[in-house]
Amino acid sequence: MTEEGENNRYDLHSRRRQFLGIDKDQALKGLFGGNAIVSIVVLALITFFLFKEGAAFFGQYRENIDLYRRSGIEYVDIMKEQSESYSELNRYLNSIRSEHATMLREEGLSFADARAKLSGYEDFIYAIEDLGYPVSEYVLEMSEVAVGARDMYEDAANYREHRENLLELGRDEEAAEVEVLDVDLSLFVDMIKEGEADFLALNDALEAGLRERIADLPTIGVESLDAKMQRFGELALMFIVEMERTEQLLSDWTSEKRVGMFTALASFVFGEDWVTNSSIQDWYGIMPLFTGSLLVASIAMVFAVPLGVGAAIYVNQFANQKEQTLIKPYIEFISAIPSVVIGFFGIAVFGQFVREVSGWAILSGFDFFPISERLTAFTAGCLLALMAIPTIFTLAEDAINNVPKSFKEASLAMGATRLQTTLRIIVPTSLSGIISAILLGFGRVIGETMVVLLCAGNRIEIPDFTNGIGTFFEPVHTMTGIIAQELGEVVNGSIHYRALFMVGMVLFVISLFINYMAQKIVLKYQVSRG
Amino acid sequence: MSLLTHNLTAKTSQQTTQSMASKPSGPSRPLIRVSDFDFFYGEKQALFDINMEMRENEVTAFIGPSGCGKSTLLRCINRMNDLVEVARIGRGKIEVNDADIYDPRVDTIELRKRVGMVFQKSNPFPKSIYENVIYGLRIQGINKKSVLDETVERCLKGAALWEEVRDRLDTSGMSLSGGQQQRLCIARALAVEPDILLMDEPCSALDPVATAKVEELIHSLKDHYTIVIVTHNMQQAARVSDKTAFFYLGKLIEMGKTDEIFMSPKNEQTEAYISGRFG
Ligand SMILES: Nc1ncnc2c1ncn2[C@@H]1O[C@H](COP(=O)(O)OP(=O)(O)OP(=O)(O)O)[C@@H](O)[C@H]1O
Ligand SMILES: [Mg+2]
Repeated sequence: MTEEGENNRYDLHSRRRQFLGIDKDQALKGLFGGNAIVSIVVLALITFFLFKEGAAFFGQYRENIDLYRRSGIEYVDIMKEQSESYSELNRYLNSIRSEHATMLREEGLSFADARAKLSGYEDFIYAIEDLGYPVSEYVLEMSEVAVGARDMYEDAANYREHRENLLELGRDEEAAEVEVLDVDLSLFVDMIKEGEADFLALNDALEAGLRERIADLPTIGVESLDAKMQRFGELALMFIVEMERTEQLLSDWTSEKRVGMFTALASFVFGEDWVTNSSIQDWYGIMPLFTGSLLVASIAMVFAVPLGVGAAIYVNQFANQKEQTLIKPYIEFISAIPSVVIGFFGIAVFGQFVREVSGWAILSGFDFFPISERLTAFTAGCLLALMAIPTIFTLAEDAINNVPKSFKEASLAMGATRLQTTLRIIVPTSLSGIISAILLGFGRVIGETMVVLLCAGNRIEIPDFTNGIGTFFEPVHTMTGIIAQELGEVVNGSIHYRALFMVGMVLFVISLFINYMAQKIVLKYQVSRG
Repeated sequence: MSLLTHNLTAKTSQQTTQSMASKPSGPSRPLIRVSDFDFFYGEKQALFDINMEMRENEVTAFIGPSGCGKSTLLRCINRMNDLVEVARIGRGKIEVNDADIYDPRVDTIELRKRVGMVFQKSNPFPKSIYENVIYGLRIQGINKKSVLDETVERCLKGAALWEEVRDRLDTSGMSLSGGQQQRLCIARALAVEPDILLMDEPCSALDPVATAKVEELIHSLKDHYTIVIVTHNMQQAARVSDKTAFFYLGKLIEMGKTDEIFMSPKNEQTEAYISGRFG
């Protein structure tokens, strides 16, 4: 204690210097507290903003789907679905022919000979194709009516709004000039509905024609192809069943039933289509984006978890001083690479490389190889793994490093090998820390935008999981990618704009959840250690 | 396995059965022999020319002021110092049961099974009491329930902990009190059936009651084990040990029967330390 301190021992007043009645401690406290408040306020603002912009989405979307029903487009789409099934049937038939053509070419037949062989059943194919035209033409016609009605209705609504705006501004003369049509959608719907008998007649003709044709399937003379032809017959019968179902749906359909909020919600959450700027009907189903994000992130984790955790274990438990000083900064350096550079590398080098490798003869055992796409979920996933590794590595290494050294010593002193010590003591003790590192790595990956936008292939479709591992090599689109891609070109306040905000909300909730889980796990871990 | 470790293993197990059978009478044979031993941490020499013997079924206490190298020597006996990257031996050797433990052919894993260690700060694993005790068996691949159960009971009894924890073997080892944790660590060390137990200030974090229990335990373990204990507590050294070695600045100053060291030390530094005039 200083001399002055000795002298003033019993003067207990604060001797700290003050400025505006605040001493240094209080000022520092204020500074740090202020920082915390700023972060909390910013988080609250973001949440509020997302909610505000996103919440109106469902109302708008509900109205939109409702209009889809009232204008009869929904009705037409039921018919259209049947037409599309028929096109698919035709594609199957055509694939038999092209397979046959390839076969003949490989046998070395001349073009003329091959043609002659194919022509034996080409008539059949054309006949089947022709059978479908009346129905699909009819559907097209009806579609034009319904979409036209919807567009007129929307135009009228826009004009009405315009006129009201003018009136509000007191520009009555201009307002009077705006003509607003009264569009009665029910008239159009009635018109379409009245055509139902025509459609049924066309369908009957189609069914009769189809039955007649498949009763007498042509034979090709190649066993495998003939089997396929038989299969075609089965598919055609299935299509006939579908026709009946379509007719049932059409007769049950009514434009009177209003679309509920739940339908809009379900259409967003479970919807399998994300279709925008369509002249017919837009759909905002998050499923293809969500599954795409999940697929890419899962692929990334498949690579990043073993590599990141493995490297962390190695560096902390097995590496010598020199290796440590080399490996640690090197891995952490990866996170310094801008994501756009990684994406660029993915497009320019890696995607091409993967496609080439997939063409190697030794891999021909996999039926999904070689792949035709350069940019796939796999390409993006591998590059994202690169970005997740530093996160996982650093956090997992921290967790492992937090295991008291005494555990390691005790284990080794019992005659355990280093490997046994690592697997039985170090990893189990730091497991929750490692898991939370993995979770945070996952959060990092699912929120990453640039790489997926550049490298995932951007095809908006739910990946076909029936392909097994082949699923990995399909192009996908992601939640982050779609926002980055489309937000720049949407009209402020439109459904599309709001839909993108909802996607942002979903991402935000996922991230929050992951962070929350990671924290919870770490907390549990500290308690169990304490 | 190398010839040498085989030698180590064979002789010690023979000796164990011998010592189990009857309490040896008369002077026992030296089990640990340190000769002309110099030890370095990098450039810094921590041990100078140590020569000493620790006999079978005796308790040897290491005393001396902080930083004099007690722990260092102790950790050399089961080669825990191998973990320190800069550690190296300058000269001399350490023999356990007549085998040079720093021979390159020696397997440290085998050595450490023979030479158990209890640390200053109790360090049970974050596992159940049961799993803590049988850890040494698990890593040897022994998973037979009857063997494990028997070992747990025997070792916990051996460590005077059985009565206190028999009803809660599946609770975490870390939920025990400090003294109980330290006895659990001793039980854990006993489970691999070592011949030698090295204890580095095992009671320094314990209250007098717990300390008394551990000391009692050391007394009873003496019949079956050769024990080396580092302590800063002179009374403790006097109470539990047969021999005492006094270290100062990395040198072994004096070693002899505990009574003689405490009653009539030959060296004045020893006397000064024991009587509390420095350190
Ligand atoms: N890992 C290490 N690296 C470098 N020097 C070390 C290391 N461990 C111990 N030393 C040094 O070796 C000397 C002996 O240390 P040691 O731990 O053996 O002392 P001690 O007698 O056990 O002391 P205490 O009674 O405080 O435990 C000390 O000078 C210490 O600084
Ligand atoms: Mg020490």
